[in-house]
Amino acid sequence: MRRIAIYGKGGIGKSTTSANITDALAARGLKVMQIGCDPKADSTCLLTGEPRVRPVLDVMRAGEEVTLDVIVRKGRSGCLCVECGGPKPGMGCAGRGIIAAFEQLEKLGAMDVYRPDVLIYDVLGDVVCGGFAMPIRNGYARDVFIVTSGEMMSLYAANNIAEAVEGFRQDGYARLGGLIQNSRGVSDEDALVDRAAAEMKTQVVFRVPHDAEVQRCEAKGETVVRGAPDSAQAAAYRQLAGIIYDRAEDVSGGMRLGTDNPAGGCDHE
Amino acid sequence: MTYVIHPRPNPIIAAMYTLRDMDVDVIVVHGPAGCGFMASRMLEEAGVRVVTSGMKENDLIFGGADALIHTLQEVKRKFAPRSVAVIGTCASTIIGDDMAAAIRRADMGPGCTVFPVNCSGCLGDNTEGAVRALNAGAKAGFVPQAEADRQAALLRAATALEKRVGMASREYLSPAVSPTKLNVCRRIVQAFRDEKKVAVVMIAKKELAYRFADLFVAVDEARRTLGGQTFFVANLDGSLGLPRIRRYCANVGAELDADGVRLDAVIGGLDEYAVVGDRMQQAVDAFAPDLRVFIGICHAYPDLRKDDILITDQPRELANYLDQQFIQAVGEISSHSMVMGATGIVHLETADTLRELVREG
Repeated sequence: MRRIAIYGKGGIGKSTTSANITDALAARGLKVMQIGCDPKADSTCLLTGEPRVRPVLDVMRAGEEVTLDVIVRKGRSGCLCVECGGPKPGMGCAGRGIIAAFEQLEKLGAMDVYRPDVLIYDVLGDVVCGGFAMPIRNGYARDVFIVTSGEMMSLYAANNIAEAVEGFRQDGYARLGGLIQNSRGVSDEDALVDRAAAEMKTQVVFRVPHDAEVQRCEAKGETVVRGAPDSAQAAAYRQLAGIIYDRAEDVSGGMRLGTDNPAGGCDHE
Repeated sequence: MTYVIHPRPNPIIAAMYTLRDMDVDVIVVHGPAGCGFMASRMLEEAGVRVVTSGMKENDLIFGGADALIHTLQEVKRKFAPRSVAVIGTCASTIIGDDMAAAIRRADMGPGCTVFPVNCSGCLGDNTEGAVRALNAGAKAGFVPQAEADRQAALLRAATALEKRVGMASREYLSPAVSPTKLNVCRRIVQAFRDEKKVAVVMIAKKELAYRFADLFVAVDEARRTLGGQTFFVANLDGSLGLPRIRRYCANVGAELDADGVRLDAVIGGLDEYAVVGDRMQQAVDAFAPDLRVFIGICHAYPDLRKDDILITDQPRELANYLDQQFIQAVGEISSHSMVMGATGIVHLETADTLRELVREG
């Protein structure tokens, strides 16, 4: 199983990128599960259309029994969609919510039931606290990719995330796979992102071109890969999906690395 | 700075005990059900109402306000209190629960003073929890600000004392098992038989006076039977401190009077254990005793000697004394649970041992 986490500044296009990667891999016949880790619970809406998937924490808050049937919804491409959800803005602890949602998935044996080939975590903005670092801690994800544009704030956020991943790397779980440039038409954007990648001691694995097709498909509630499969943008997303898939390591384990593998993580160089 | 790793007292618990001393009717611990459980149970058994908002995983994620409001309304319905204090814990503090807003929304009515104590287990010194409880009480008009300030100064002195020579001065202390009291009691008996002068110094922390004061009764009986002289000094000034503390002084003093036991000097109140040492030393030195017996916070006395008899209720404090070669130290372990809810003097094992020795002649 490939375990991929997609991070990046809020509004930079993480969910759109994640959903297009998920649909592109699903179209190749792979079983992909996308887990949205954002209290807004909008990561998978391009994959499911209506009705949306009910967030794990909504079910928990209502005091209802959490079952896989309730919290896992099939997307239109055959992918599997989960949303963690979260508290009302400004209340409680969203980070703790992510942890609790992961614990639920683990307790319900989601990986044993669905046996996905690829797991994609789409994680809110910055690594603001331990909860939002969960996907890159404790062996949930193996390869972390950061979506960024050439805009300064986006690169700052990318740098923070890279720092967090490096901090956890010593524990033997996640590693930084590289940057995904989501181009915004900033002048000299490629050079800016390349320079930032070098500072983070990583590389730009792909540059997604800026294309109005993305907004057109989003307005229809679809990914570009499904809504405009013959477009150049769809081809770009398919290429990105291939690169991410090839760069991600195929590691065994249940929901977490090391749960089947007492040696723990696999980063023992 | 000493990096202390043995279990330390908790600011949340210190706040709870302080609220009890302030005579607050109900203490609400806003946190998980088990938080502060041991202390809550002891306070409950002593007649103080302590309840928990019983936060669960969902309250951590979505906020604990509803759990707290529900708990406050139950408190109002069941106990009809005139005063309620809500203490924060680690869980509610980390997620930033607004206890004051929840208190307003719970609408406890005009006859009831309710105030929050912003507290968690991560404040460092446990006394910080007590200081916060006092200041919150003062802000709510429940205790005079001057008394809160006086208490805060005493608590800081107590923390400084513990860090200098008490349990907080050592990185790790394993609890010691007390030797029997026979040896120290034989020394007291022998001193009286030799017509010597024996000083008994009680430096008690709050309700522990109920147990430690029994030593005066037993030593007085020994002196009357065997001869010799005594000098009794204690921090039992009933004109100082929070209401409950003053009542302890009144109760203990009345019982000593009834037993015909006279204190030669009363120096400081039951909350002044950290600051009475120097004044007590002057009084004791003037008596020039042959044998000195200390009970309570012995290390608050400035010039302890290796041949002094030291009696403490804390197994780790006992370890601290024995490690320093105070070989005449004994422990009256679990005294605290025996005096919770007491209203009169409780028998002390050292005192009972002394009585037996004296009576068997």
